[in-house]
Amino acid sequence: MDDQTLDDELAALIGRPVGAPGPSTGPDPVNLPMIRHWAAAFEDANPVYVDERAAAASRFGGIVAPPLMLQTWTMPTPIITGIRERGGSPVPTAGDGPLGVLDRAGYVATLATDSEFEIVRYLRPGDTVSTETVFSAISEEKLTRLGPGRFVTWVTTYTDGAGEVVGRQTFRILKFDPGRAAARPAAGAPA
Amino acid sequence: MSTDARPDVDAIRVGDPLPELRIDVTATVIVAGALATRDFMPVHHDRDFAQQQGAPDIFMNILSDTGYCSRFLTDWAGPDGRLTRLAIRLGVPVHPGHTLVYTGEVAGLREEGEELVVDVSFRAVGDLGDHVTGTATLVLARRGTRA
Repeated sequence: MDDQTLDDELAALIGRPVGAPGPSTGPDPVNLPMIRHWAAAFEDANPVYVDERAAAASRFGGIVAPPLMLQTWTMPTPIITGIRERGGSPVPTAGDGPLGVLDRAGYVATLATDSEFEIVRYLRPGDTVSTETVFSAISEEKLTRLGPGRFVTWVTTYTDGAGEVVGRQTFRILKFDPGRAAARPAAGAPA
Repeated sequence: MSTDARPDVDAIRVGDPLPELRIDVTATVIVAGALATRDFMPVHHDRDFAQQQGAPDIFMNILSDTGYCSRFLTDWAGPDGRLTRLAIRLGVPVHPGHTLVYTGEVAGLREEGEELVVDVSFRAVGDLGDHVTGTATLVLARRGTRA
């Protein structure tokens, strides 16, 4: 595939869904047991997450979920045995997805580089969360310390049961070709 | 680690340091965070798998990073602090046996009605270098402000 054809294919991905089209809803509504599990794992003693009386006395007026649990509510239920026959994907995947075009162009390795959250409102127990993720940008080829690559950015919009936006996440990865890594580090390369 | 404490909102100044958060990372810490965030990728719980992928050991997942960022920020901001934005750049990995240290400072302040909007810049440094660098925005309530 020549560069122009690849650029055209990548341009066509912008605005398209990263996974299955349409919103997907988390398997469970926001709930106290998962909040308590999360708070215990990170030893986060903020009482507004688990202590009804303290939460009622706070500005929130009741229990709220940790804001950065946003993504956790919509993580798909995994299939444990064999974790996708040891390839490492805990969920079924259909084909190689839209990023397959980058793999076929030699950018076979993946490194996550940035994650940004906008929290529109804190969720409360009983809220349902749906999510939809679309590609927002794919860079030109950049020379990085790891090899030439392209930065791929997608935006996930989280909505509640009423369809109101509760948060947004922008996530960026580098798809790169480790086989063409330069001998010396390039300036401005990501860690 | 008491987080009932609320900062004196009127006394906050640009340059104020946030209390350091130090995490002695073990395999248990990494696995607990991965599963509490429902991230079952084997590189976050299975050392054999991680080594097959070229890593020396399992490593902390990104949802745990944002979890610890949130804890670091609200340990300081208190139960009335409301996080509205978190942006992180991901650096070198963190493996069992490493120590992860979060530090940060107030980078900007502005009034919005009865609330104080605080920008924080911070980083988490592990044994291999910068693990996470980032910025966040918190809205702090004056006394009696509701969410």
